[in-house]
Formats: sequence, structure tokens, C-alpha cells
Amino acid sequence: MSLPILVVDDSAMARKMLIKSLPPDWDVEISQAENGVQAIEAYRAGKAAVMFLDLTMPVLDGFGVLEALRKEDLNSMVIVVSADIQPVAQERVMSMGAIAFVKKPVSSELISNVLKQYGVI
Amino acid sequence: MSGEAFSFNLAETVVKWLDVGIFVLDKNFEVQLWNNFMAHHSGRAADEVVGKNLFEAFPDLPKPWFTKKVNTVFLLNNFAFISWENRPFLFRFAHNRPITGGADHMYQNCMLLPLKAEQGKPEAVCVMVFDATDTAIAQNLLKEALEAISEISNRDGLTGIYNRRYLENRLSSEFDRTRRYGGTFSMVLFDLDFFKKVNDTYGHLAGDKVLVEIAARMKAQLRTSDVLGRYGGEEFILILPETPREGAHLFADRLREMIELEPVIYDNITIPVTVSMGVTEHQADMPSYTSMTHQSDLALYASKAAGRNRVTCYDPSLEKLAADKH
Amino acid sequence: MSLTALSNDQRDALQELTNIAMGQAGASLATLLDEFVDLSVPRIRVVEVVDLPPVLADLVGKTNLVSAVRQSFQGYLRGEAIIIFGEPGCQALADLMGFEGELGESGENELLLDVANVLSGACLGGMMEQIRNFTETNGPAELSFSMPLVMARQVMAEQLIDPQKVQWSHALLLEVNFTIKNRDFIAHLTMLMPEDGIEKIRGIIDEFIAAF
Repeated sequence: MSLPILVVDDSAMARKMLIKSLPPDWDVEISQAENGVQAIEAYRAGKAAVMFLDLTMPVLDGFGVLEALRKEDLNSMVIVVSADIQPVAQERVMSMGAIAFVKKPVSSELISNVLKQYGVI
Repeated sequence: MSGEAFSFNLAETVVKWLDVGIFVLDKNFEVQLWNNFMAHHSGRAADEVVGKNLFEAFPDLPKPWFTKKVNTVFLLNNFAFISWENRPFLFRFAHNRPITGGADHMYQNCMLLPLKAEQGKPEAVCVMVFDATDTAIAQNLLKEALEAISEISNRDGLTGIYNRRYLENRLSSEFDRTRRYGGTFSMVLFDLDFFKKVNDTYGHLAGDKVLVEIAARMKAQLRTSDVLGRYGGEEFILILPETPREGAHLFADRLREMIELEPVIYDNITIPVTVSMGVTEHQADMPSYTSMTHQSDLALYASKAAGRNRVTCYDPSLEKLAADKH
Repeated sequence: MSLTALSNDQRDALQELTNIAMGQAGASLATLLDEFVDLSVPRIRVVEVVDLPPVLADLVGKTNLVSAVRQSFQGYLRGEAIIIFGEPGCQALADLMGFEGELGESGENELLLDVANVLSGACLGGMMEQIRNFTETNGPAELSFSMPLVMARQVMAEQLIDPQKVQWSHALLLEVNFTIKNRDFIAHLTMLMPEDGIEKIRGIIDEFIAAF
């Protein structure tokens, strides 16, 4: 059965860029969300075993999503993908339950390293 | 970059001779390059300076500020700029502009560039020093000219004190300020008694001299915040900020007496001069500053009617005189 | 004027390109001020120059007093960066940069110029880096910057630009802002490019989209 993964970013371009950098032979079912609220809905629908999460989004941002997931007993491997490269931002997301932080623009190498590190592939 | 057609290194030669200061610092602030502009203006040749710490070679440089500026370039990998308008110069060099220019040193704009291999981190910073003396001189001249124009448009040509235009503006702003922030101010409107007779008897030049002299004597008695201006032919206004009517009355009377006691001398002729004055103070219920001019005008009229050479303070009973005036 | 319109896909791609670049600017600002910086979602407008004053006021806030710095850039792209600071934050800047006591107007101006320069250099530099990575450029994707200059202190945003004095007829406007919440500090970086820039950007964006 394909692994359900969720790509969350308000930019269609960014979602495309991320999806393109995923390991080509990874057996996944990809869902997409444009903002934090859609992300949480998708998560509740069981579509986010792994979640690639942007930080800067309208309606509900990445920090908001992490906060909400924590309250719902985080059951997703969240990898934050962001242009916000401040060390404090990285520390913050890690302390809020993200398993990794990947800087934009993403590279396939970086993504596959993280996935390997956490035994996802 | 080409230049291979030449027998010398093109880029090196250009950097050396360019009429812009170019020097390069490494992370320890040791000088790595020092072009002719820097050498000639500082009086220190390249072989004296290269390899040395910049601040040891030039102890007068503003070390903490410049260190911060350069380190930001290393850290953020970005250009930086220094404008003569914020800091007139980095190095105190003599300028080579005409000595009448009004500048006693070179004004400088600087640009700082990170130097690195392709996409790496900066290994050195290049500082370029541009002579901005011409711009600085021109800008300062412009500023002075604008100030002079502003002064001219506010001054009375004959006496040099403020003119009616300025007085109106000042009364208006003083009025607004007092209404908004509280406090008080007073106004003295005065004119020279029988001035027409002075002109007719002694001539206009004598009359002018009287005006100039009276204005000068009054001006010498003022506090820094007081404003004296010529309102009309022989009419003057004195604006006294932060002064209530009693204080204004006292002050006005002192001035009146000073003028009475000392005649004006013109061409060996003694011309006795007296002034009539009207005083009024700002009141909270005044609709506009013209209430002040109206009231002091009535008070002045009262001084004239009562025999001249005196000071009258406005009070509402004087309103009946308004009818008499017309 | 169809020449100046961007499609939704193009806008989205340009927004993402700007987002990546502003992350670097935000990190630079954070380093400079030693504070966490909140990044905004980039906004894109294609405007007739005559509409610039109300558009700026809309982006920055109509009733707020602002101070602004301008800096031109040229090379692969040309245009002007206008960095707009919210007024209460200007005062905080000296504090943030570690200066004690009174600074005076000249000192304050110098800080505004330094911060503005960091933001425009990092953001536009970041965009050039992405362009180099993802596109086959005609000529090196490099920019040079002119000296930043203080445009205005404590005015309404609408008063910043006099359309009569602008030579362009249309402009592409990219806006990002950087906020330091507990210091009441906000800096808007608006990047303006003239008509020929819009065409060039459109070409770059199309290549960017095609790369994925």
C-alpha cells in the first residue's frame, strides 16, 4: 500500500518543486494542501504519514500547524521545508515536533538523506 | 577578463592608477592592496602599508565603527556603503579643490565589497573611497543660499528686522501653539508719534534713520525668544512669548521711556522721538490671531487719543473706540 | 494592457522565487539585529505608475507615518528598491543595533541606510542566485547597487512617490516585509521594475516553471 504523504505550501510552484525532488521510486500517494487549515484536515483524513510543511502561509502558518498537531498527539513525520533559514526558526520547529528542517530551494539529495535518516526509505 | 594583448597586467594597472581610493583588507584587517590614490593622499606608500594592520598604520581611523562596518560585510556577504552626509570622511585627506571652496578636508563616499571565489564566503573586503568634495561643497552652498533666501523674504530691507509677512506667520503659529499646548503670549503694537512731521520737517532720509535707529535700540533689549518686526510704514509689532500682559506692559513702558530719553541724531540734527503702544494678551476664547491685532490696535488708538507717548493695555471697554475710529 | 499582465501560474512562481530570496534577507536582518524576524508572504502588483501612491499606502498602511530609503539596482535586472520603515520601529532600531543613548538624525539615517542596504542586497542577490541555478541566462545574472539614500522621514506612505516624476509608465512591484513583533519594528522591502523588466521577468519565470 502506498504511503500517504502530504505536501503543504501556499505556492503551487513550491509544491511542484518539492514533489519533483522526492525519490523517484518511492511508493507514495501524494496529497496537497494550500494552507495550515487544509493541512490539518488532510492529516485527520489520514493522508499525512509524512508531511512536508512550509512555514510562511496565509490563514494558518507552519508554526500553527505544528502546534495543532502536537495537541492532536502528533502522528505524522513532519519535515519543515522553508525559505526562512534563521537558526531560531529551525530550533523552534524542531522543539515543536518536526523531525527535520530542509532549506529552500530543496534538493533531491537533501530530501533523500532526511528520509533515509528516519528510516522512511 | 582580457587584456592579454598588452605587455602589462591590464587590471592591475587600472586599479593602481584609477582616481578612486582602492584598498583591500583581510579578516584580520591587514592591508592586502593599496592603490596610488590611497598612497598619494595618505602619504604612505604601498610597501609601507601592505601587510600591516590598518588601525596600527592609521591610528586616527574610527576603529570600532569601521570594524563593525567591515565585519558586517564579511558576515552577511553583502555590499555596504558609507555616505559623506552621515560621516564626512573615513580618512582625513586634504582635498585638491580650490581653497575658496569652503571645505577644509576631502569629503568621501565609500563602497565596501566582499571578495570571494565564485559562490564561496568572503575572504577579503575591498574598500573604495570616492572623492565627494564637489558634491559636499555644492550641497552646502545650496543650503546656505536657501537659508539666505528664506531670511531675505522674511526681513524688512531698511531696518533688518522681520517684515510684515513674517510677523503674520509668526503670530498665527504662536496663536496655534498656545491654543494647543497652553501657556500664553502677548503682543505690543506701537508706532512713532508724529512720524509724518519728522519726514516733512527733516526729510525722508532723516525719517529712515529714525526708523533704523529705533529698531536697533529695541532689538538690543529683546530676549532671544522675543520677535520684533516692522508691520507698516512707521508701525511695529513686538511678540513676547510666555509673557502675560502685566509683564508685557512693564517691558513696553521701559522701551517707551528709553526711546523718549534719547533723541535720534541725524546729520547733526537732534530729532526727539516718542512712541505710542498698545498691549494685549492671548485669551482662550479668541477665535483667531486677528483678535490680537484688533485688540492691540484699539489699545494703540487709546494711547494716541490720550496724548501719545504712553502704553495702554487692552480691555473690553475700549471696544467703543472702534466706532470712533470709523 | 495585456503586455503587463502576469498569469496566475507566473504570479505564483514569482512569489515563490521571492519567498526563497527573502528568507536570506530575513536571516541577514536577524543576524544584524540579533532578534527573530517574522517573514511575510510576498505580494505582487503590476501597476500603472499613477497608481503607485495608493498601492504603496495599501501595502504599508494608510494612516501610519513612515520613513523610507531608496536604492537603485542595475545589471541583469534594473529598478529601484524602496525600503519603508514603520515609524515607531525606527526609534527601536538604534536599540536593536546596540547603540546607547541619543543618536541624532544623522546617526538614525545611517542605521536606516544600513538596514535597507542589507535587505535589498540579500533579497535581490538571493533572486539572482536562484535565477543562476534554474535558468539559462543571457549574460551573467548579476546586479550592482547604487548607494542607498534617505527618501523621506516621517511622512505618509502615499506621499513617497510623485508619479509625475517617474519616467516609467508601468511598474512591477514586489513587496515583502520583515517584522520584529515585540519591538514594534517593521520594514517593507518593495522592489520596483519598469516595463522592460516585466518582460524579462516573465521570461525568467517561464523558464523557472519549465524547470519543474
